[in-house]
Parts: sequence; C-alpha cells; structure tokens
Amino acid sequence: MASQELFNKIIDMLVELKDTSELMLDLAYSSILLNSKELAEEVQALEEHVDKLHTDFELLVLSAGISPEESKNFLGLIRIGVVTENIADAAAQIAEVVLREIEPHPVLALAIEEAEETVVRIQVSKESSLVGKTLREAQVHEETGMWVLVVRRGGKWVRPSPNLKIDAGDVLIASGYAEGEEDLKKLASPENYSST
Amino acid sequence: MLIEANKVFSLGSFHPMVRVEKVEYKPVGVRALLIEMKDLSELMIDLAYSAALFDSPALAEEVMEMESRIDTITYLLNMNVMVAARDAEDAESLVGVTKVARATDKISDAAADIASIVLQGIGIHPIIREAFEKVEEQLTRVEVKPKSILAGRQLGGLELAAKMGVDIIAIRRNKRWIINPEENETIQEGDVLIVRGAPQGIKEIEGIAKGTIQKLED
Repeated sequence: MASQELFNKIIDMLVELKDTSELMLDLAYSSILLNSKELAEEVQALEEHVDKLHTDFELLVLSAGISPEESKNFLGLIRIGVVTENIADAAAQIAEVVLREIEPHPVLALAIEEAEETVVRIQVSKESSLVGKTLREAQVHEETGMWVLVVRRGGKWVRPSPNLKIDAGDVLIASGYAEGEEDLKKLASPENYSST
Repeated sequence: MLIEANKVFSLGSFHPMVRVEKVEYKPVGVRALLIEMKDLSELMIDLAYSAALFDSPALAEEVMEMESRIDTITYLLNMNVMVAARDAEDAESLVGVTKVARATDKISDAAADIASIVLQGIGIHPIIREAFEKVEEQLTRVEVKPKSILAGRQLGGLELAAKMGVDIIAIRRNKRWIINPEENETIQEGDVLIVRGAPQGIKEIEGIAKGTIQKLED
C-alpha cells in the first residue's frame, strides 16, 4: 500500500509536469513570434529536463506497490506522464524551427509587429539590488520595460509568480523593447554592465 | 475573426462523433493564427490537466471543443502558407510554419488524450485528487443562464478578483474563444466561462452564472 509520503511526492511531480509543459508551450511559440534563438534554446533544454522528469515520475508511480483494484487509478497517472512528454516534444519541434538559421519569410517577419522587441537572458549577480526581493517588489517591468518570461534556477525553470524571490545566480529570461535590454542588464548585473 | 469549427462532437460520451467539414480558405495573417494557436494550446493544456486532476467531465468536454478549433486553425495556417509561397526560396522559409502547425496538432491531440482519461473513466487516484485540490487553484466551466446577473455586464465592472478571488480566464461564445478577455468585454447569456480561483469563490461564481445567487457580495 502506497504511503502518504509517496502520494505527496507524486503530487509535487504532477504539478511540476503540468507547469513545465505550459511553460514550454509559452516559450516555444514566443520563440517563433519573437524570432528568438535564446528562447528556442531554453525550450530545447527544457525538453531534456522533461525527459528526465518523466522517467523519475514513472519510477515513482511504479514503486507505489499497486494492487489490482487500484490499477485503474494509477493508469491515469502513467498516461499523464506520457502525454506530458509528447507535449514537450512538440514544443521542442516548434523551437527547432527558430534554430535552423533560415531567414523568416516576410509573412512571419511582417508578423513581428514590434520589430524592436527582443529577448534577453541575464544572470543575477550578488551585487544586484534584485537579490532577496520578490518579483513584485523588484518592479522589473516598471524599471526596465522588460517582462520576465521565466527564471532559470540551477537545473529548474520557474514561472515568474509575483511572490517568487530572486536569488543571486538566477538567470532571468525577459522580453521587451530593445532599449530596455541595457537597463535590465545593469539592474541584474551592475558590475558587468556599469554605465560608463 | 470567426471561423466555424470543422468537427462536431457528441458531448457526454467519449466516442467523439466526428463530422468533418470543409474548411474554406480565408486570407488570415500568419501572426494572428500563430498567436491564436499559442493562446489556445496553453489554455487547452491547462484545462486538460485540470479536467484529469479534478475529475471534471465538463472541463474535458471543453478541451474536445478546443481541439476542433485548433484543427480549423491548422488548416487555415497551412493554406495561407501555401498561397504565400511563390518560389523555392519562399518554400524554404515557410516550411517551418507548417511544422509549427503540425506540432500544434500534436499538442492538441495530447491535451485530448489527457481529457479522455476523465471521459473514459480511467481516473486519478482519489488521494492524489484530494491533495491536488489543496495545492492548486480550482478551475471550472460554467454557462451563463438567462436569469444570471452576469448577463449584459462588463467584466471590469464586476471586480470578481477583488470580491470573490476568481478570474475569468476564457469565454467561449458559440464556436469562438476569447482568451484572457479584456475588462470591457460584455458577458452574454449563453457564454461559457472558464474560471480559475479559490474553491469558495468558484462555488459562488457557479451559483451566480446559473442564477441561483442573485447578488455580488462585497
């Protein structure tokens, strides 16, 4: 019989699988719409992450010691895992289009309404005033005009909720007008991008 | 932009009754279609997981509705790309877009697979469902009945987030989807609302949409 502790672990992983697949879709389509290699690379990295996550999830579910009566209740979990991996593959295929180095056709290029829009990836340094603040307190958009799309922390990707606290070493991935790029870099890594 | 879906599902049973209809070419901007695909697929995945984890056939049916809409957009996107290609160079730079369309189809199939976990009664372990309900905000689908006080009101004026802690994340009006509706969107009788929020607020908004609750609490 599966323990409460195991169930809690399964829940945590389910939430992560769900959040990660939604995040991947967001980033994959955004990589096409913004013609951003940075975002496309994140999606590729996320795809590998999901593969690993899925294996861990399957092992976890299989270790539950499932009785015949319970098997139907666990089948749903196994299926969700499989489907999450399909979604991750599809997102990676979308991102791959951007990484192929072919100039986007005018129907797409025209499509990029704000040609000035860009994507920045920047690591938060120890010196940054952002360290220790939540995203709400940090007011990144008000200060720089850039929207944080995702925060990469170690081997994980975190969706930017207002209460997320920024740590030194976090990588912020943000989009916005090109002129905000410098401001964000200065904010996140003042010693490397000082205004001289 | 209103395009009829090309499939009709018999809701309530898990065998979709597929009636394939012709999708006629319309000149639609590729960007507009890609943005719609992005919005729809994200919402669809969200709804599909929620349908499975909250064991909600109503949400699962909504996912099936969205799948048919994605099919239509996929056809339109491919047709618009074909019309735009005049030479080999065009073909090279446009083939990626058709790949996006294919991947989107795959995503919507995946969402439908998750939803079918509910519709086939396979289910998720009850202990997991209960725990999930505690950690995640609830999601619900509710239709606005004629006697509901929501009919005819603008979203902004309702202040649902402040009053009951819920957000309307999408509205389905016949075959059309309005995702992340604007404050000035007017709710109409017959609209299907997709609402996210705390369990208490969800119960309240369901009553208000049905018309069993006739006032908004402050």
